[in-house]
Amino acid sequence: MSIVEQDVEMVAAEEEVDETAKNALEADALVLADLKQNFALLERAVATIESRFITRVLRTIASIRKRLNANVLSQAIQLAFPRDSPDRSKLLDYLGKESGVMEVDSEEDTREQAPILPEIDIYLNLMVMIYLLDKQELEKGVQLANETTSRLQTFSRRTLDQLSARIYFYYARFYEILGKLAEIRPILLAAQRTATLRHDDDCQATLLNLLLRNYFHYNLYDQADKLVSKATFPETAGNNQQARYMYYLGRIKAIQLDYTASHNHLLQAMRKAPQNTITAGFQQAVYKLSIIVQLLMGEIPERSIFRQPVLRKPLIPYLHIVQAVRVGDLSNFQEALAKYSDVFRADKTFTLILRLRHNVIKAGIRMISLSYSRIHLRDICLKLHLDSEEDAEYIVAKAIRDGVIDATIDHENGYMKSKVSETGVFSIKKAQRLTKPMVKMPTPVQFQENVDIYSTNEPQVAFHQRISFCLNLHNESVKAMRFPLNAHRKELASADALRERERELVKEIAEGEMDEDDDVADF
Amino acid sequence: MSATLQQTSRLYSELQNEFYSSNPDLNRCGQYLATLKVMLSKISLLLPEGEINNAEALLIGRNILEIGALWSVATKDIPSFERYIAQLHTYYTDYGSLLPQSQQMYPLIGLNLLRLLSQNRIAEFHTALENIEPEQLLDNAYVKHPVHLEQYLMEGSYNKVWNSRAEIPAPQYAFFIDILMETIRNEIASCSEKAYTCLPLADAATLLFFDNRQDVMTFAMERGWQVDTDGKIYFATKNDNMVEIPSTSIIKHTLYYARELEQIV
Repeated sequence: MSIVEQDVEMVAAEEEVDETAKNALEADALVLADLKQNFALLERAVATIESRFITRVLRTIASIRKRLNANVLSQAIQLAFPRDSPDRSKLLDYLGKESGVMEVDSEEDTREQAPILPEIDIYLNLMVMIYLLDKQELEKGVQLANETTSRLQTFSRRTLDQLSARIYFYYARFYEILGKLAEIRPILLAAQRTATLRHDDDCQATLLNLLLRNYFHYNLYDQADKLVSKATFPETAGNNQQARYMYYLGRIKAIQLDYTASHNHLLQAMRKAPQNTITAGFQQAVYKLSIIVQLLMGEIPERSIFRQPVLRKPLIPYLHIVQAVRVGDLSNFQEALAKYSDVFRADKTFTLILRLRHNVIKAGIRMISLSYSRIHLRDICLKLHLDSEEDAEYIVAKAIRDGVIDATIDHENGYMKSKVSETGVFSIKKAQRLTKPMVKMPTPVQFQENVDIYSTNEPQVAFHQRISFCLNLHNESVKAMRFPLNAHRKELASADALRERERELVKEIAEGEMDEDDDVADF
Repeated sequence: MSATLQQTSRLYSELQNEFYSSNPDLNRCGQYLATLKVMLSKISLLLPEGEINNAEALLIGRNILEIGALWSVATKDIPSFERYIAQLHTYYTDYGSLLPQSQQMYPLIGLNLLRLLSQNRIAEFHTALENIEPEQLLDNAYVKHPVHLEQYLMEGSYNKVWNSRAEIPAPQYAFFIDILMETIRNEIASCSEKAYTCLPLADAATLLFFDNRQDVMTFAMERGWQVDTDGKIYFATKNDNMVEIPSTSIIKHTLYYARELEQIV
């Protein structure tokens, strides 16, 4: 390689560095512009008392968060706070910047001597907290979070609600990472009470979820259950909080063996959660739990769940469990349990999976009763890897009582006799025809599938469920409609003008389309 | 305050001597416990709250409550046992970091689990399980026992439940196990009604864990089973396949639909 070439390369590299530096500067300017716009939005929100603008501000957090750095933040802080404000230097301290660094902006500062809006103040606090969290400066973060939350409690402004919900979220997050969640429980509880009194739905929802998470962290399901039964979750809360709440409810119900309720809650959690890769963690957690709950209910989860790209890998241990339960193979089940026990423990599903053991046995008994018209208890014992013949007898008796199988036991001769073959003089072929579709049934543990479902009340119940869902949906959507205040008067006056404008618009669109067509035709 | 504490600790040592002696006088222990509880509540240790730095006092409080729980089992007083356990819960969880781990903790937790099982409070049983570290669940002899019992009960291995009587980790367990046995016997009986058409008396005796024929006969009488002269029990096969038409709920639903539709249009 010649020297010239090397030089060229070095120059190129330098240029690259320049380029990145320039890009970084530009990016900083963009972030600053975004932050400034958010300040404007917050001011507008306060002026008009409209929470919509704040929602817009909060929506940008994710995108700003990725591009955030100390420089931009300190610039924004200097812009927003009046010069002599103590909060200003405090926030800058947290960023590791000295308050006098950006003297360039001093002229601008003098202009803004007006006291800062609490909303903007809290917003900046929030951004600094997020920044500290991303930079893993936890001690500082906790300190700031403490100060901010204690300040929040002195305010009573409705426009702050959404912001303070976020503040509490990160407050709890800091404590969780530091493993000190138990300390903040009284503060969260107090804040929850205040939020309830003020009908502050956002804070209420967030705090309730934080409390539940807090309890779950220490496995205090008892307290969590009591909290849920005492506190009402606001209906108007955002979807994300609702999804979380549903997941927590599902967990509590699963622990308490109320699997049907648990499954319903988990289904809602799945549907409410946004379906993208960012929420992969939440989705995985929900699906893991819901698979186990479904198994405990005696259903087999759909195979397609395990094929979804976000779920495929983390669900592999659960797939093994499902397969073992489906076939009713106890030794397979124990193997999977032993192999992945660490995973299950980490997921906190271990105790739930331990409960599955008898479902495996039930599935096994059911398979046997479908395939054999008469089988010796000893053979059942061997097939299911049970410990003794007596065990087998009791287990089969219980399965009969619970309606898992339709059979009788002949104690004197020691065999189990399925009722299907007993009814008759069936030829073997006929019996096969009867049992075959049953073996193919996707859900092996199901009760008496031979009954004609339309002779029961099942369809009625199912229809009722759907009808009430639809009616509910209609009512909810009616409630959710928004009408601008007094707007209809103006509209009445300008209705004609509006219609005129619409007509023009339609015309324009039609023409525009034709133009496009022309353009295409030209080429 | 400190005077009460000294008094408490003095009385506590008396209680300790009495309760752990070879032949404890349960009545006297009960009297001690009653006065001690009053004292504890005076120095707010019965249900401790907030920051307490006096680890020594906490330790005494915990030990007294532990003896109280064991004493309740000895006197077969289940509600009192329940109360003591609820009070101990604070000591074990909230102040667990301040105190050395108690020797009695796992036996008492196990006893409590067994109590929930014997009262058929399965949901609470599982909630309580979640509070125990997973490592202890299958390794700790005191906790393992009720956990396995629950599994046997769920799958129906009543035989193993019966045999587990012999493997109790502490003598106090026997009290609850005996209650559990009654429940199991009824469970087996209801299973047998469905599973068998007839059963010889001798076999029924082994199935239901009865020692002699007479007990089986009385039990059969209680459940209303038919005992034939050839020494066989015949179970009446009930046919309750009649499906009732849920008229009230149908009317209610239809009215609800009508009202809602009316609102839409």
